[in-house]
Amino acid sequence: MKRAALLLTLVMAVPTAPHALRAQSVRARLEGRVPASSIPAIDSLIHEAGREGLPTDLLVQKAIEGGAKHVSGERIVKAIELNIDQLRRAQTLLVSAGDMPPVTPSEVAAVVWARKRGLDSATVTRIVSAIPDDRRAAALHAVADLVFHQFQADSATDLILTAVREGMHGGRLLDVSYAAVQEIQRGHTRPEALAMVERQLPNVPTQPPPAKSTLERARRPIAASHTESVTP
Amino acid sequence: MNPIDPRVHQALDGEISPDSLPPELRRQVERLESAAALLVRVPSLEGVERRVMAIIARPAPTRLRRLTRWLVTPHSLVLRVRPVWSVALAAVAVLFAIIPVRETGVRLGREEGVAQFVARFPGAQSVAVVGSFNDWAPGSIPMEDRDHDGVWRASVVLPAGTHEYMFVVDGERWVADPLAGRYVADDFGRENSLLIVRPAHR
Repeated sequence: MKRAALLLTLVMAVPTAPHALRAQSVRARLEGRVPASSIPAIDSLIHEAGREGLPTDLLVQKAIEGGAKHVSGERIVKAIELNIDQLRRAQTLLVSAGDMPPVTPSEVAAVVWARKRGLDSATVTRIVSAIPDDRRAAALHAVADLVFHQFQADSATDLILTAVREGMHGGRLLDVSYAAVQEIQRGHTRPEALAMVERQLPNVPTQPPPAKSTLERARRPIAASHTESVTP
Repeated sequence: MNPIDPRVHQALDGEISPDSLPPELRRQVERLESAAALLVRVPSLEGVERRVMAIIARPAPTRLRRLTRWLVTPHSLVLRVRPVWSVALAAVAVLFAIIPVRETGVRLGREEGVAQFVARFPGAQSVAVVGSFNDWAPGSIPMEDRDHDGVWRASVVLPAGTHEYMFVVDGERWVADPLAGRYVADDFGRENSLLIVRPAHR
């Protein structure tokens, strides 16, 4: 009888183990870094987001960031709520653009950053619909870079999508936006700059890899932790 | 070489009788005939031929055997070196032994890149980089101002991708990177700088 009860307990425990471990890891990461009184609320919000398939690591990072900046627990909770809302909207945008749920955390994060950097949802939807793979993050950043330098969002999107059609992706798309900004600094108007760079595609100058001396000086952060990253 | 009298030739060829020759030519003919008889009695070469054929038929020695033979056989080596070169080689060997090998930096993974942070904070006592890559912990990436000109630098290996970051000056002042060119709201009323790290191995 005792053996049967033990077996039943084990069988019930196995499916819940990952959730329990995750719960433990979120609390463990927050303890000592955010006000203790706000940990239960943050923990609860993060688990709710996890159940929706949202990238929870970004939320944990946001909470830790708030704690490091000595923000009150109440403000951290509000920031987490705001971030969950942004992630939810990004997820909805991706699904409406044609992605099959569940969308990947990196895709969601890329859309959130694009929106935070000032791209409107129409522009983001246009880019996401035109590039149905993981090249989006770099494309979104490239367009956001151009918009940051007062290029028209539509014209900037046109240029980057042309570059994608020319076979460019990843960091090379950032070279395209950089080339356009360089043309402005040489005294050209924005439409001229876009036209000039478009004529150069796909042969815009590439950013050189780090010099040997830079690599020799480079060090890893002490006790670096895992972060949610989006490869451009 | 003395010329041979033609009559001796004729006698040897049997064209004339040796008895018809004068006594000194007859002696010459007799000496030549005895020499010819000696040549006729040459020993048989059959044994020599067998020994030569046995040596030829023997399999060639293996490479290892030849090497072993070469190693155990005495050789004379002549090395002509100018004393000045000997001294120079010795000096280089000593330098290699004394000077420690320089640190050549970290090995980058396939999905890693190097971020270079540069900021000007004149009069600051310490500057650190904090961000999503180090859990926003001041102290894990200290910046350096080696020549004390107020320009602080750090080269850091980070995962390729997008990261938010700030500078922490003197352990308490949080400042966005004025040279970042990319910013996002931090949702606490300020802005974070945004960094895109490209993989070093492209």
